[in-house]
Amino acid sequence: MDETLFWNRIQFAFTIVFHYLFPQLTMGLAWFLVYWKWRALRVGDEKYNQAVRFWGKIFGLNFAVGVVTGIPMEFQFGTNWAGFSKYAGGVIGQTLAMEGMFAFFLESAFIGVLIFGERRLGPRLHFVAALAVAVGSWTSAYFIIVTNAFMQHPVGYQLEADRSLGIASLGAYLLNPWAWVQFAHNQTAALVTGSFVVAALGAFYTLRGLHPMQARLYLRGGTLMGLIASLLAAFPTGDQQAKMVGKHQPVTLAAMEGRFVGGPMAGEAVIGQPNVAARRLDNPIEVPGALSFLAYGHFGTFVHGLEDFPKDQWPDNIELLYYSFHLMVTLGTIFILLMGYATFQRWRGRLESTNWLLWVLMLSLPFPYIANTLGWMTAELGRQPWLIYGLFRTSEGYSKVVSSGDTVFTLIGFVGLYLVLGLLFLGLVGREISHGPAEEALSAKHPEEPHEELSP
Amino acid sequence: MIPTWYGITAFMLIVYIALDGRNFGAGMLHWLVARTPEERRQVIAAIGPLWTWHEVWLVGFGGTVLTVFPKLLASAFAGYYLALFLILWCLILRGISLEVGGHINDRMWQGFWDFVFVVASALLAILFGAAAGNMARGVPLASDGTFSMAFFTDFTTRGYVGLLDWYTVSVALFAAVALAAHGGTYLTLKTEGAVHDRSARYSRVLWASVAPLMLVISVESGIVRPDLLGHATHNPLWWLGLIVICAAAIALGSGLATRNEMRSFVASNLILGAMLATGAAAIFPVALHSTLAPENSLTAYYVAAGPKSLAYAAIWWPIGFAFAAAYFVFVSRRYAGKVNVSRENQGFY
Repeated sequence: MDETLFWNRIQFAFTIVFHYLFPQLTMGLAWFLVYWKWRALRVGDEKYNQAVRFWGKIFGLNFAVGVVTGIPMEFQFGTNWAGFSKYAGGVIGQTLAMEGMFAFFLESAFIGVLIFGERRLGPRLHFVAALAVAVGSWTSAYFIIVTNAFMQHPVGYQLEADRSLGIASLGAYLLNPWAWVQFAHNQTAALVTGSFVVAALGAFYTLRGLHPMQARLYLRGGTLMGLIASLLAAFPTGDQQAKMVGKHQPVTLAAMEGRFVGGPMAGEAVIGQPNVAARRLDNPIEVPGALSFLAYGHFGTFVHGLEDFPKDQWPDNIELLYYSFHLMVTLGTIFILLMGYATFQRWRGRLESTNWLLWVLMLSLPFPYIANTLGWMTAELGRQPWLIYGLFRTSEGYSKVVSSGDTVFTLIGFVGLYLVLGLLFLGLVGREISHGPAEEALSAKHPEEPHEELSP
Repeated sequence: MIPTWYGITAFMLIVYIALDGRNFGAGMLHWLVARTPEERRQVIAAIGPLWTWHEVWLVGFGGTVLTVFPKLLASAFAGYYLALFLILWCLILRGISLEVGGHINDRMWQGFWDFVFVVASALLAILFGAAAGNMARGVPLASDGTFSMAFFTDFTTRGYVGLLDWYTVSVALFAAVALAAHGGTYLTLKTEGAVHDRSARYSRVLWASVAPLMLVISVESGIVRPDLLGHATHNPLWWLGLIVICAAAIALGSGLATRNEMRSFVASNLILGAMLATGAAAIFPVALHSTLAPENSLTAYYVAAGPKSLAYAAIWWPIGFAFAAAYFVFVSRRYAGKVNVSRENQGFY
């Protein structure tokens, strides 16, 4: 690979992976806040408000890091991927701008109200703020996924006089079938992250015997939502996503499976290491016919192997793609089993007393983040060598005027800055966790005082 | 269609500079107007809850330029590579300093984040100023519409120029003074007590120095781009901008003299906006001027996306803008009046 192209890809990969650690929690946690706020309004139980106040602080920190790491993403389309912007800006710019106009304005206008405005605005408007932030974050995700779906499966475009791409039908572009499937899969995966984080903290407090009321709420809400979201992430959304890849990117499906030779009754590898040089999967353990069934609905269907395609259309990092996909699927399966068992124990009334399960729930906190990242690595590595599938190669997309020295410099800058940001975030969230949720009413101390609030 | 889009994108950038410029200005004045930890929290509270809302205008601007002028964004962003990353890193540091500074009630912690806030704000004002200077002076665009620019070359304004030369540096310093004046006017409006009084004093001094500096910058611009003035006088919008600057200057003077803080602040926004608007009107239809050869310059017509892409953008942009305007009303009402820093509620902002 061209050295400059390599550094541009590494920088984008690093900044987007770091960035997406934060929005996935924002999008998952937002609906917990909405639900708790709604419960507080309906049943008037103060514990729900306490939960929103506590998680609101973590949400605010998480949101802020998401904002500051998100702005470089949009700018890198121009700075590092000028060839791509010049070629497809008329198309992909539409959704990037719409994200700002329709989603970010909404989110950022209400985030301050959500975190600081409870006293001044009262419970009803506070609920509206939670809802606005949740809707804003999911809308933003839709626009970004439409952009990515266009790169995976371009629709609704036309070739302009200057050989760049323009929009032929905005409706077709926005309603790309790939985007619907990808959105559903991605959003359920974000809910998985939110659920696991909420459950992990509930498990942590339960193990330490702290904040029992709140811990119970987090543990029960997190595991139930975790089960639902993990199931949905696998079926139907993950299943549909794989079928979409099989239909529109058969060479990607072959690479994801480490399948070099095509044939009917294709097996799904459970274990095995792709050996690209020898063009085979080493030490495979396969479920016969499973891939044919999963990708095309029949056990006998012919599934292409990589050798059925010219080599210049193969994804350029088959090993990493294979492991990303397989580890994601493995983790997703474990998530279903874990949350299923936790829900079963809750039904038996033993969730809070099964010590080993609480330990596992607590320690599983990083894994949904890993699974989300692996999912995106599958999508993005699988799209290679194309930047826009079938239309525009990644090697044409980067900024030719920027030297690799400049790119390495900015990459090092991002690594340093994000290391500090990450440590800062963990330290401050850890501090909030050790303070814990306040288990008393908001204005219990001075009920007669006017409701003053810190932020203006 | 294309002049309208040129106007819309310029408008979005102007709104961003007017909104976030007050934060840069407040940041530069932070140590001067606020001495005790309580006073510093007043400054932070005056801008704290809204910085993300302001930054969204920059995101909206970037996305809109990518949609309607993709070739401009590709050329300019890649060409300004290092400068843009410095801006991005400063934006990250500025946002984080606001967000985490209030989390721990500790002198050392808050002192450190105050420092980050001040330095990042000053650098942002200077970098955006230098960027404006570069837009006016032009960049070394080659015949293929791309350029790559060093931080500085020989500090002259012709040929293979760098990001910084005598002209862009003076525009950057002017921007720092003007934005500091803008921020001071905002803090006067939003704060009480000692911070208010010091802000009022600083903003009067700073605005008094903006007037002669503006004259200097205009003369310098005439030297660097002798072609601009003759071109600009044919554009009625340029004249309109001049009239707005004069009217806003009078309103500002009377606002400062009569201590009408709202009038001063509105006038301050108008002056900044109109200055940038006259600049945009003066260079139109050129979006990026070439210092190597005039025929290499990128015009708005050349860099525009296809007609259908523009037509679709013309459908959703006004809707999105209507939403943004509605949020603006909500946000302005929600955060209207002086900031109130109650001691009991330690922590956020």
